[in-house]
Amino acid sequence: MKKLLTIIICKLLRAVGKLIGKGSSMPGQIALKLCPDILNRIELPEHIIAITGSNGKTSTVEMIAHILTENGKTVAWNREGSNQIEGVTTMILSNATLSGRVKSDILLIESDERYAKKTFSYIKVTDYVITNLYRDQLTRNGHSEFVFDAIADSIQPDTRLILNADDPLVSVFGHERDNVVWFGADELSTDTKELSSVYNDGAYCPICKAPMEYTTHHYNHIGIYSCTKCGYHRQDTDYTVTAVDLNKGEIEINGRYKITLALKSLYNIYNILAAFTVASLVGIDGSKTAASMNDYVLKNGRVINFRLGSRRGTLLTSKHENSISYDHSIRVARACEDGADVLIIVDAVSRKYFTSDVSWLWDIDFEMLDDPNIHEIILAGAYVNDLAVRFSYTDIPGDKIHLFEDISEAAGYLNSGRSEYIYAITCFSDKDKFLSEVEVR
Amino acid sequence: MKILHLYHDIMNLYGDYANISALKRILEHSGEEVTVDRISLGGSAVFSEYDFIYIGSGTEKNQKTVLKDLEKYKDQLREYISADKPVLMTGNSFEMLGHMITDGSRVNYEGLDLYDFTTVEEKGKRFTDDIICKADFLEQPLVGFINKSSKVFNIRQRLFTTEFGLGDNDEGGYEGIHDHNFFGTHLTGPILMKNPHFLIYLAAIILGREPDTTHLEYERRGYKITLDKLSERAAK
Repeated sequence: MKKLLTIIICKLLRAVGKLIGKGSSMPGQIALKLCPDILNRIELPEHIIAITGSNGKTSTVEMIAHILTENGKTVAWNREGSNQIEGVTTMILSNATLSGRVKSDILLIESDERYAKKTFSYIKVTDYVITNLYRDQLTRNGHSEFVFDAIADSIQPDTRLILNADDPLVSVFGHERDNVVWFGADELSTDTKELSSVYNDGAYCPICKAPMEYTTHHYNHIGIYSCTKCGYHRQDTDYTVTAVDLNKGEIEINGRYKITLALKSLYNIYNILAAFTVASLVGIDGSKTAASMNDYVLKNGRVINFRLGSRRGTLLTSKHENSISYDHSIRVARACEDGADVLIIVDAVSRKYFTSDVSWLWDIDFEMLDDPNIHEIILAGAYVNDLAVRFSYTDIPGDKIHLFEDISEAAGYLNSGRSEYIYAITCFSDKDKFLSEVEVR
Repeated sequence: MKILHLYHDIMNLYGDYANISALKRILEHSGEEVTVDRISLGGSAVFSEYDFIYIGSGTEKNQKTVLKDLEKYKDQLREYISADKPVLMTGNSFEMLGHMITDGSRVNYEGLDLYDFTTVEEKGKRFTDDIICKADFLEQPLVGFINKSSKVFNIRQRLFTTEFGLGDNDEGGYEGIHDHNFFGTHLTGPILMKNPHFLIYLAAIILGREPDTTHLEYERRGYKITLDKLSERAAK
C-alpha cells in the first residue's frame, strides 16, 4: 500500500512539475521521504547500465538511449539529467507500473560521481561506465583523487566495469579486477608526442606515485601511458577508435565501423566510443550502431548554432571550473581554417552555488588561441578583468583582445563590420545571457 | 634573482603555478633578471642560492609522497626561514612543516616538525569556501578560496584573521601560519594574482625595495570585483 501510494504521488508530482516547468528531483525527494527503501521495492529490468565520471555523462547517456531505442529496445533513462538519488528515483518511479515494475528492457542511469554510492546502495548495477576523471568544479569536488574514492565506494563486486583505458586515473578502477571491458583510442593522427596542457594529471603513477611515461597523448592526460616503476600501464582495449580524420569529420571504430561526426573535433569521440561499447554489449550490431550515430546531433543543447546580424557562429557550451572542457572548445575554434573570432564569457562562475574563485582559468590552455586561425578574441562578463590578466600571460598580441564587462556590449561589438565565423565559449550558467542577444538557428 | 618552485608538477592542483608567473613578472618589471628553477621529487636544491621558495597544493596522497622527499631539505628550510628569506606555501603544502599529519584512516605521518601544530584529515570530507581574511601587515583584506579535507590545530604564529569563510579549524577566526618571512596558507591557487597587494608586499621583501606596480591594473580591478561580491555575500 505504501509502495503504491509513493508511486502515485511521485508520478503526480512529476506530471504537475512538468506542467509548471519544475526540475525533476523534487518528486523523488518526497518519494524517498515517504518510503526510504522505495527503490528496493521496485522490480527493475535485468540490464541496469550506469554512467559516471567528470565529463560526458549526459551526452553519453543520450547517445546510448538513442542507439538502443532506434534498434528496438525500450529504455528508461534520466533524460532531464537530474543525476543524484532524488532525480534517479523520480525517473524510476515515473517509469514504473502501479504494481511497481519498470517494464523497459534497459534501465540507463546517469549518476553524479560524488553521490553515486547513495544511489547504488539500492540498485544492483550490471554495467558501470566510467568516462574520465578530470579537474571539474574543484570548489565543490575537491580534486580527482577525492572523486575517485567516492566512485570506488559505489562499485559493487559483481558489476561489470566499462572503463576508459586511456585515462590513467579511471583505469585504476580496473586494476587487478577481472570483469572489465576497456575502451580507448589507438595512436591517432591528431595526437601529440609531448603533453599539450598547462598541467599534467598523468605525471605520476596513480598507484605508486613514480613518474609515468607516455608514448602518445590524445589530449591532456588522456593517452597511452606506463609507470616507470610498478608496471601499471594502459590496458589493451576491447572497443577502440582505430582512426580519426577531422578533415572528413570521421572516426573509425574497431578497424571497420566508420562514423561521421556532426562536430568535426575530438570533442565527442569518447562519448561515441563509450556508447558504441555499451550498445555492443547489449547485443546491437556495430554497423547498426554506426548508422545510428552518423552525424548525430546531441539534443542536450550543448552545441548551438546561431546568427548575429550577418555573422554565423556556434556556441560551445563548456563547463566553467573544468579546464579540459575549455581546452576542447578552444581546439574546435582553432581548427577553423577560414578564420574565426572567439568570444569567452565568465559572468557567474556557477549556476548552482556561489563562488568567486577563478583559479581554474589558470588551468586552461588559452595559449592555443595564439594561432593564425584565430583573428579576434572578445572577453566578457563580470570576471573580464581576471580573464584579461590570464590572457596577459599568453603570447597572444594584446591588440587582438577586446574586453567588455557587459555581455550585450560584447555582442554589439561582434555585430559591427566583421565577417568571421564566431565561436562563443561559455558555461550553462552564462550561455542564456549571450543567446538572448543572437538568433538561434 | 633566482626563484625555486618545488614540486611544481605534483603540488599544482589549482593553477598554483601562476603565483610564480606573477612574481617573475613584477620582479622583471622592477628591473631584475629572473630565473625560475623547477625541482621535483628526487631532485636536489641548495636553498641558499635562491631569493624565494614556493610550494603549491596537492592531493592528500601526493602531499604524503612529497613529505617523504621534503625530509632531506629539513635543515636547509629551517635555516632559510630563520635567515628571514621569503617562503610561500599555499594549500595543504604548509601542513608538512608541522609536527604531525593524521590522514582520514587515522594513519600518522611525521611532519618536518619545524612548528608544533598538527593536522587532521577527515575521510570523505571536503571543506570548501570563499574567503575574506586580513593580515596585520596589509591594509586591504585578501580574497581567495579554501579547498581542503583537513583541520589544523595549535598554530601559534598567526597569518590571517578570517572575516568571512573557513579558518584553520572549527574554532574559526584564524587561518595560516606566519613566521619570519614564511607564509603558509590554505588559500589555494594563484593567490598572488588575485591579491595584487600581497604580491607587492612579497616582491618588496624579495627585492629589498619597492617594486614597480604599474602593470597591475586588471589585477586590481579583478580583486575589487571579487572583494565586492564576497563582501555582499558576507553582509547577508
